[in-house]
Amino acid sequence: MTWLAWRQLRAQAGVGFAALVAVVIALVATRAHLVDVYGPSGNGELTGLYVWLRLLGTVLIGLPAAIGAFWGAPMIAGELEARTHRLVWTQSITRDRWLAVKLALTAAVSVVIVGVFAAVFTWWCAPIDATAASRVSPANFAQRGFISIGYTLFALAVGVLIGTVTRRTLPAMAATLTAFLVVRLAIQKLVRPHLVSLATVRTDPFGPGPRGGWVISTRTVDAAGRPTSGRDLENSLAATCHITRATADVDQALAACARKVGIHNLTRVVPSGSFWQLQTLELAVFLVLASVFVAATFWWVRHRTS
Amino acid sequence: MTAAIEATDLGRSYRGRWALRHTSVTVPTGKVVGLVGANGAGKSTLLHLAVGLLRPSEGEIRVLGGDPGSTPAQLAEVGFLAQDAPIYGSLTVADHLELGARLNPSWDSAAAEARVAKVGLDHRQKASALSGGQRSQLALTLAIGKRPELLLLDEPVASLDPLARREFLQDLMELAADGLTIVMSSHLIGDLERVCDHLVVLSHGHARLAGDIDAILDEHRLITAPRLRPDQPTGHEVVARSDTPRQTTLLVRSNRPVLDPAWSVASVGLEELVLAYMALPEPEHAVLRSIRGVA
Repeated sequence: MTWLAWRQLRAQAGVGFAALVAVVIALVATRAHLVDVYGPSGNGELTGLYVWLRLLGTVLIGLPAAIGAFWGAPMIAGELEARTHRLVWTQSITRDRWLAVKLALTAAVSVVIVGVFAAVFTWWCAPIDATAASRVSPANFAQRGFISIGYTLFALAVGVLIGTVTRRTLPAMAATLTAFLVVRLAIQKLVRPHLVSLATVRTDPFGPGPRGGWVISTRTVDAAGRPTSGRDLENSLAATCHITRATADVDQALAACARKVGIHNLTRVVPSGSFWQLQTLELAVFLVLASVFVAATFWWVRHRTS
Repeated sequence: MTAAIEATDLGRSYRGRWALRHTSVTVPTGKVVGLVGANGAGKSTLLHLAVGLLRPSEGEIRVLGGDPGSTPAQLAEVGFLAQDAPIYGSLTVADHLELGARLNPSWDSAAAEARVAKVGLDHRQKASALSGGQRSQLALTLAIGKRPELLLLDEPVASLDPLARREFLQDLMELAADGLTIVMSSHLIGDLERVCDHLVVLSHGHARLAGDIDAILDEHRLITAPRLRPDQPTGHEVVARSDTPRQTTLLVRSNRPVLDPAWSVASVGLEELVLAYMALPEPEHAVLRSIRGVA
């Protein structure tokens, strides 16, 4: 059965592996430049080609959804549409085994492609992360570490189940993209902030936010800890410290006044240091979800498909 | 001897509609069995149940003494050619032979190669480029190459031209001569009469007639009598009846002697007989008899 599964996947897997090799070569060849730019003598700014290379992280964010739609959704739906399931399910092999081999092989190929891509990209970005970027901010979190493996396996499982149930490739692809993105963003927004304990950071309301963490919420309080709303804040500060339109550098004066009366921001952040803990926990969440979808697919293929 | 197919009060429904119901039928081994019925009569459903693609909604079906599709060994014993001969369009002919060899422990590589050579298939050709007849031949090669004991064919000649059809049926007769049990569904009663020695007629999801063709023909007769009243007893089991102003024609299932000298008796052709059974109205479930094979 492995032979047939590989025979059906090999053309697409070949394209995937070729693209992976190209990406890895490009990243390995250019990393030395990043070390310079973000090193002690660098200016910390990427230009030209390197800006484009950094966008590979965005590709990495989109890759799991693409794998779910293009490899997951057609896996069973394509067989049902072409009626080839009636050919393959009547060979001397049970459909459980057939499904298990197809799923395992596609998952293995996908994990290798996404996993190597993510690992090399994380290593490539290390100089940036060491100085400039926040690894736990949502945009960067999905581009680093091993979480994209969890997204990939989940997207694949969603695609296979939707394809099995709808029995039609194109609607299944569209539904897979939608379902994956909804779940992925819902977990990012509703679950991820609760996976690790948040830190509360005190910051200047007129200064920059906290560095390195992922800001979950910010509220402004006075010296006694009572909340003050943003709109009233400037008016009351202006009254307290006699700041008018005529005052030179109003912003500076407001900031100084806020410090004097003890008004400050309390910001709840996911600390940068919880990056790997967060990656591990969210990976576990997506692996559990993927298992549920895979189990449902086995049930459906066994009982509801003919 | 274990029957090839033994269905007991078998039923299968799709979304609340019964495709097959209250079907009890026995298919003996070592025969070529024709499965006849109108579109939607339940032919494909019965074959899918026998190969394990479908599970029964009610009743039971045993194939070669086992539960269809339940184990690799059970699957290995039954070869299946689905309707429209599905094959993998992106795979070559050689790939399909490889598929057969990889997925079937009992694969007969030499016989499969010989068949492919005989029907003139090119190993390197993509399956999507094959004609309808070539598709059927390739799919049949896969079904035969696993050396099954029972071969189930769902409308195998529908996509074949008359010449290819004749060769295909010739092949089947050779396989049957080797002792393979074959069940094939078809609309073409003439084809079935040529190759089959046993017949199962399905209508509205029920088996209406099953038995060896010789026996079936032997126990049915056409009686022509002067016009009978609708309620007049005939003393025979009447399958079909047609009336003209002057006379009544009865298709009866009985060997009892006809005593009335005014009645004439004639034998009936298979096509006429099968059409009469196919045209039977949908039965009341309460009064439906289970119909068993004669052999």
